[in-house]
Amino acid sequence: MTAYIIRRLWQMIPTLLGVILLVFILFNWIGGDPAYVLAGKISSAEQIENIRRQLGVDQPYYVQLWIFIKQVLTADFGASWSTNEAVSHIMATRLGPSLTVLIPLLILSTIIAIGLALGVAYVRGSLTDRMVMIVCTVGLSISILVYIIVFQYFFAYKLGWFPVQGWGDSFWQNLIVYASLPILIGLVVSIAPDLRLFRTFVLDEINQDYVRTARAKGLSENRIMWVHVLRNASIPIITHVMAQLPGLLIGAFLIERFFSIPGIGREVILAVERSDFPVIKAITVYVAVATMIFTLLADLMYKAVDPRVQLK
Amino acid sequence: MFPLSRLLATIALTAVGAAATVEAWAADPDKVLRIEFYVAETGFDPVKVQDYYSQEVNEGIFDPLLTYDYLARPAKLVPRAAEAMPTIADEAKTYIFKVRKGIYFSDDPAFKGKRRELTAEDYAYSIKRFKDPANKSPYESFIDGITGLEQLKKQAEKTGKFNYDTKVSGVQALDRYTLQVKLKETDYNFAYIMALPNFGAVAREVIEAYPDDTNGHPIGTGPYRLKEWKRSNKIILEANPEFRGFTWHFEPGSDPLDKQIVAAMEGRKMPQIGRVEISVIEEQQAAWLAFQNNELDLLYLREQFAPVALPNNQLNPALVKQGVTLNRITDPDINYTYINTTDPAFGGFTKEKIALRRAIWMSFDNAEYIRVIRKGQAIEAQYPIPPNVLGHDPAYRSVAPYDPVLANKLLDYFGYKRGSDGYRTWPDGTPLVWRYSSTPSSRDREIDELWQKSTERIGIRIQVAKNKFPEELKQERACQLLSRTAAWIADYPDGDDFMQLFYGPNSHQNNSSCFQLAEWDRIYEKTRSMPDSPERNRLYRQLWRMVEVNGVTKMHDTRYRNMLVQPQVVGYKKHPILLAEWMYFDMDGSRRQP
Repeated sequence: MTAYIIRRLWQMIPTLLGVILLVFILFNWIGGDPAYVLAGKISSAEQIENIRRQLGVDQPYYVQLWIFIKQVLTADFGASWSTNEAVSHIMATRLGPSLTVLIPLLILSTIIAIGLALGVAYVRGSLTDRMVMIVCTVGLSISILVYIIVFQYFFAYKLGWFPVQGWGDSFWQNLIVYASLPILIGLVVSIAPDLRLFRTFVLDEINQDYVRTARAKGLSENRIMWVHVLRNASIPIITHVMAQLPGLLIGAFLIERFFSIPGIGREVILAVERSDFPVIKAITVYVAVATMIFTLLADLMYKAVDPRVQLK
Repeated sequence: MFPLSRLLATIALTAVGAAATVEAWAADPDKVLRIEFYVAETGFDPVKVQDYYSQEVNEGIFDPLLTYDYLARPAKLVPRAAEAMPTIADEAKTYIFKVRKGIYFSDDPAFKGKRRELTAEDYAYSIKRFKDPANKSPYESFIDGITGLEQLKKQAEKTGKFNYDTKVSGVQALDRYTLQVKLKETDYNFAYIMALPNFGAVAREVIEAYPDDTNGHPIGTGPYRLKEWKRSNKIILEANPEFRGFTWHFEPGSDPLDKQIVAAMEGRKMPQIGRVEISVIEEQQAAWLAFQNNELDLLYLREQFAPVALPNNQLNPALVKQGVTLNRITDPDINYTYINTTDPAFGGFTKEKIALRRAIWMSFDNAEYIRVIRKGQAIEAQYPIPPNVLGHDPAYRSVAPYDPVLANKLLDYFGYKRGSDGYRTWPDGTPLVWRYSSTPSSRDREIDELWQKSTERIGIRIQVAKNKFPEELKQERACQLLSRTAAWIADYPDGDDFMQLFYGPNSHQNNSSCFQLAEWDRIYEKTRSMPDSPERNRLYRQLWRMVEVNGVTKMHDTRYRNMLVQPQVVGYKKHPILLAEWMYFDMDGSRRQP
């Protein structure tokens, strides 16, 4: 197991180098030279050059790339080009609001989707199953933007059940007052695809011989579904959930913008709009690292869930 | 009141527009103004920021020497931290400002528990900061005209350290309260520069105490101070207890609203509002719903919601019923499309090139642009100086109005023949393609479509290139961008701020079309040494006619700024130049609708 983990960690290095190179090329190719915006409405070539010098974008590409690599190694991405705020401070202060929305959303979404998937798989082919699938298909076809606009209008403005927008100072106030509607929207959006996917995983298992054997042994349907079937269906479910986890680090762009949640998603949009390379670099690298780590964790969890799995 | 006191009070009030009281005035902490920014601020170091919203906050925190009269239109300069308007000497090459005595910075640990008075030296230091290369100031060019600063900057570039203690001929504190500024050339507009929020005074101790985060420590002498800042989310300001306060007194203009404001506000001690809460709400739907929920006191209505809030350009009856009012001004801005006059294909001043450019402009329907892009919330611009800016000419009519029939005739006459595919070619028969650049935003895509529709009318093929904004600027500064639709908003309300957009030596800066004509430049240079006057306006008309005749630019529009105002806001009037009017109006909680 230890050797496997070490090997996987070692394999992350070339992947990370690839990410660094890709981000660097993309930014320099399409990102634009931020000095022209930072220099203001009226600026001379000399002033622009001074800004380029201070940002380091006047250096040869290989020097800039080496600086980027050193920043990744030291986890110090410097300060934002547009606000001068330390990138580490941006990450530290914006991640909390994003996680306040996304962690409960992920947990609730997974639990509800698994429960519903087991239910509809159990009554597969019935009217209920078909109706649920139709609702899911319709739900999937609607853009999240529509959900946000409609829910914000009716539940927040018309009915006054939630605030229209905003963010407070305490965790509980944010979770209960401000994050409730965004979480509800997130649930409506995410349950439909999750439910369809998980239903497929469960259906793959429900026809297996071990299920028939369990029934023959006289086990209750609840035990068969929640223990035997769910355990065997959990590997693809874990893969799916783990693949979603790195997304926590980049927040939910639209939800954060519409509800004025000071999360990392809004910061990503701001950084792109402002060609703020230090922030873009940091977020991209953190997400890449998180993706690799969560993928590794998912592999380790397979072993925990199903001892037959061999880690090679 | 004793007659003599009344007389003295009247004199004082008349002298400065808004007279300061000697003692500090405590605003009411229960009067809370809630507003929104739809773009996140970047910081509050006046030298380092350039975005509208950061500057709005800075205008509340810092004191420039001058400001604008709240009600006068066109905008009129009045003293703020200065005792009076500056003494202008030496053909407007020397400005002498007297800083008002007894103005104090809001408290900060950098002052070590002592009250810190504002002095002329603070302004000298603050002005020098614009030239410090380490500050990368976007407003550096605004003080290029001051003598001696460029040498100081050059020295800093050599040594790596900007020496603020070096005496500079152009910026000197003659005594504790007298600031002298010397300019290289005559400039009647320099006083406007001293009214920009960026030119509020900072204290050197504070800047040196927080060298790595000057954006986060705005300590000024203005009416408000920063209480809380959650970056890109919430900014809370509270009344500065050190602020000197003043008594509300402004002369009403011709606008009937002015009389109502004067009747409501005259004689009040200001500021009244004790707390300003600013939420960053980027999506208009959220801001719109929050305003309707009475969670915001003022709303800058963006075009997207104009059809709902202002059907037929009248305030929605439901809003009227709630007591909401509309305060509308024309922004001091212009939106225009240009063609690079140095472009090898489309540039130059031969008759056929001028005809081609003018035909392109005549194919474009501004009325449609205002209807589609602005949702009716703009007026057509025919002149480069917008309303409420000195030099504006409401009677001017463009020589290239929307007229596709005439545009086609013009092209036919100069030999731009249509090919078998219906598109025109150059007179030599090679394909004619107009390259137009825009950003990938949805707004720009709509404008692209209008241009495509327009050029179809005259059989000219258009090629739209998508670039990020910094890339467009880079190409534009190199005079390599053929054309794009650009905007310019006034830094100060004088025509010069707009006319300089066509000045030859400003190519590679903000003369986007890289237009250069010796005759034009000569006349423009003459206007620069003139104060606002009928003669200068005559020359401006002549200059603009030359730009139009040469087919350099197509003016599109000047936008409305529609402010929706809740009934609890008293005495509010949007100013065309001031950004933060909070110190001039009041809140009345009893008028709040449930």
